[in-house]
Amino acid sequence: MAVSDPTIKTKPAVDETGRKSSRVLQTRDLRKEFGGLTATDDVDFALEEGELRCLIGPNGAGKSTFLNLLTGQLEPTAGSIYYDGHDITAMPSHERVERGISMKFQVPSIYEGLTVAQNLRVPLQQVVDDDFAVRTREILERFDLLAERETTASDLSHGQQQRLEIGMAMALEPKLLLLDEPVAGLSVEETAEIADLLCEIAADDGVALIVIEHDIDFVESIADRVTVLDQGTIFREGSIEEIKADPEVKRIYLGEDH
Amino acid sequence: MAGLGLLDFGFEFVEIFAFVVLATVGLAVIFGMMGIINLAHGEFILVGAYATTFSFAAGLPLPLAMLAGVVITAVFGVVLERLIIRHLYGRLLDSMVVTWGISLVMIQLVRIVFGNSAPGIGIPFGQLPIVDGPVYYLVLAVIAVGLLGGLYALFMWTDFGVRARATMQDEETARSMGIDTDRMYASTFAIGSALAGLTGALYAPVMPITPEYGTGFLVEAFVAVVVGGASVIVGTVLASGFLGTVNAAVTNVAGTFMGQVAMLIAAIVAIRLLPEGITGLLADLREKRGESE
Amino acid sequence: MSVDSSDGHLAQLRRPFEGPNTLGNSSAFWAGLAVAVALLAAMPVVFGYYAAEVGAVFLAYALLGMSLAFIWGYCGILSFGQVAFFGVAGYAFGIVAINVSTLTGATLGLLAAVAVSTAFAAVLGYFMFYGGVRDVYVTILTLVVALVLFTFMGQTAGGEWAIGDARLGGFNGMSGVPDLGIGVGSVGLEVGLVGHYYVTLGTVVATYLGLRALVNSQFGYAMVATREDETRTEMFGYDTTFIKFAVFTIGGAIAGLGGVLFTTQNNYIDPSVFGITAAALPVVWASVGGRTSLLGTVGAALAIQFVDYQLAISGSEWALVFIGSLLVFVVLVMPEGVAPRLHDHVAEYREPNDPEPAETPAATDYPGGDD
Repeated sequence: MAVSDPTIKTKPAVDETGRKSSRVLQTRDLRKEFGGLTATDDVDFALEEGELRCLIGPNGAGKSTFLNLLTGQLEPTAGSIYYDGHDITAMPSHERVERGISMKFQVPSIYEGLTVAQNLRVPLQQVVDDDFAVRTREILERFDLLAERETTASDLSHGQQQRLEIGMAMALEPKLLLLDEPVAGLSVEETAEIADLLCEIAADDGVALIVIEHDIDFVESIADRVTVLDQGTIFREGSIEEIKADPEVKRIYLGEDH
Repeated sequence: MAGLGLLDFGFEFVEIFAFVVLATVGLAVIFGMMGIINLAHGEFILVGAYATTFSFAAGLPLPLAMLAGVVITAVFGVVLERLIIRHLYGRLLDSMVVTWGISLVMIQLVRIVFGNSAPGIGIPFGQLPIVDGPVYYLVLAVIAVGLLGGLYALFMWTDFGVRARATMQDEETARSMGIDTDRMYASTFAIGSALAGLTGALYAPVMPITPEYGTGFLVEAFVAVVVGGASVIVGTVLASGFLGTVNAAVTNVAGTFMGQVAMLIAAIVAIRLLPEGITGLLADLREKRGESE
Repeated sequence: MSVDSSDGHLAQLRRPFEGPNTLGNSSAFWAGLAVAVALLAAMPVVFGYYAAEVGAVFLAYALLGMSLAFIWGYCGILSFGQVAFFGVAGYAFGIVAINVSTLTGATLGLLAAVAVSTAFAAVLGYFMFYGGVRDVYVTILTLVVALVLFTFMGQTAGGEWAIGDARLGGFNGMSGVPDLGIGVGSVGLEVGLVGHYYVTLGTVVATYLGLRALVNSQFGYAMVATREDETRTEMFGYDTTFIKFAVFTIGGAIAGLGGVLFTTQNNYIDPSVFGITAAALPVVWASVGGRTSLLGTVGAALAIQFVDYQLAISGSEWALVFIGSLLVFVVLVMPEGVAPRLHDHVAEYREPNDPEPAETPAATDYPGGDD
């Protein structure tokens, strides 16, 4: 919805980053060091509105660190993050959430002791003041959880928990959704369901997505473009075909992961 | 005159430092190891004191009576751990609530069985020559320091210590490495109980013994544990030193009660600055130096 | 499962107080509650003045219990020192009311006492929550505060510890605390013995309903989310530190209100309200009754204190042994407490084939309690 929403203030044709304006996210020389280790090494990353980007790379490539820098969970050592034309480098997490950056964690972090409906209510009431029942129902239908409405979240299947968490992230009506391994540990059918959902979110809602994923088949089924991270830097960027065909990408995977 | 004032202050500090350390160690061992604040800590001390007093009244020499106090409290702790506490591992707040229930029961049972007072023990060793105070307080201080040293050695240098610290750091991993964590908890609880019993035994000659005897140690013990954080030895030593200094300084000027209030205020300020206690501060410093992440 | 269409107005009236955050959202529940309140109201009529006198103390305890259930059960803040606010309010009322005297004094005393306990909770809460103090550290700090107040009030026996005409009195306590009343000078309403019982009962009912409305509001969802997972809730854009601070402060105010009603009933207060035994009682009520059930906690407070009282007047010394053992037993056998367990059984009995709790018609027909 962000794409054509007329209430959103028209952005300057050229934003602070000097790039064109349909860009929802841009990092500049983004850097994060832990002690002597550089987990994110001067990364310049850009994402268009409604784009679905997969982030791949061997273990320890700095994928999760990068995502945590975007959400504000981690503070960068140097560099800047521009979101929607504004510098958000120093903005606290919860303000980024209000501005439309939503995150789904690697481990499902739903409220296990609450029912599905209660879970959804927590993000929903941040966005709307009324009609919780209507909005809840819409989300439940979309994420195929209607029958589980009053089920305690800890009793859901793993796939249902993943869907609930994506539903909660979407309840915030984000413009940018970050997902850390959304299909880890899911069955083939469940994975296909999530793939459909993510494509739909990007296409219909105009939400930009960054998805960290190891499963290359899953990546192929969803991604427009793929970014390969290695040792904290952007190693390659391109279409899935280009990436799959790249011998260098194979080498870093084979060399370090197997 | 000024020299004598300084000496008085020094003695006061030694006395209070010993009290804070001895009040805290038993509690700190259990807290550091299991994260549980044993609300029945005061009553463990009470058991030690009663066992000592009645052993002494029955004719045992004081050192043996104190030993009896330690042993009986340790046994008592192990029994409680096996019967009740072990069902609550992994349920931190529940275990605190339960130990409070145990505390209520014990205070009242002691009152019903032994009445409101117990036979006294005179303070051994007589008075100090220059400063106005018993020699025994110096003995207590020496024991307190020795105890801290002993615990340090136990946790740092022995096989048991290594396993205990592994369990403390990460229970899951420790278990996967073949450490029987339940047994570690049980032994820790026994050590903590024995230490509480020792405190009760050592202070049996100093404080009048009533069913509320244990409550008198709680403020110091809780405050020191909170300020110290989860690291048993370092936290307890630094917290006792810090709180003992504040308490002694204020007590010297404004009396015992104000000393306690000052200690509480110091603790609240300290926690405002160091939410994870002194332990947390040390961990931060280590992280800043880049040794861990 | 559904609300009777015949009493649509009643359903409308109930709506703000219902939601998945509270147990008991059915017509039967509210009818039962009305009967229970009516029975409590009939107590002085049936059993006489003496019952009113004793009953009012139990009801004041119920307020103290609710203050803990509210902060612990709904926001996960386990305070072992709710009695600190209870007692501070009691002393504050005494000091003001003794000095000002007449009905003006009682009125000012009530306001001052609640203001003092609220401010005290706010200051302590500010230091703890904005200082990043968490979990067991909060629990222990609150207990230490109560214990230090115990020591402090205990050593106020001397004549220098008098504020105007009000002598703090050390362990002998402060006596001659006036009755509750509202008015200026001698004009107004003086609350007598039976009146005091009804005022306390009314306060308990009003507080209960008020808290139910609060925990089912947007703020209530934020509280529950904070209890379940603070980091996650922050990621949804909530200021969890402020939520905890606000909840703790409200809890202090309610405990303070209880303390005023307690002190004015006895016309007396002493440091034992801050003692380790008194501090344990709210924890016992909330644990036994069920900390996520305000009503369960109220019920447990009334029942346990009734038994305690019966044992005391029969000359038995076993009351504390009973209370302590009950606490250990309940936490071991049903950690969630009696009321939630009872609720589950009722739900199962009513709808044996439906896994959903029977008492949440909620789910389908209200959008939330905040409108």
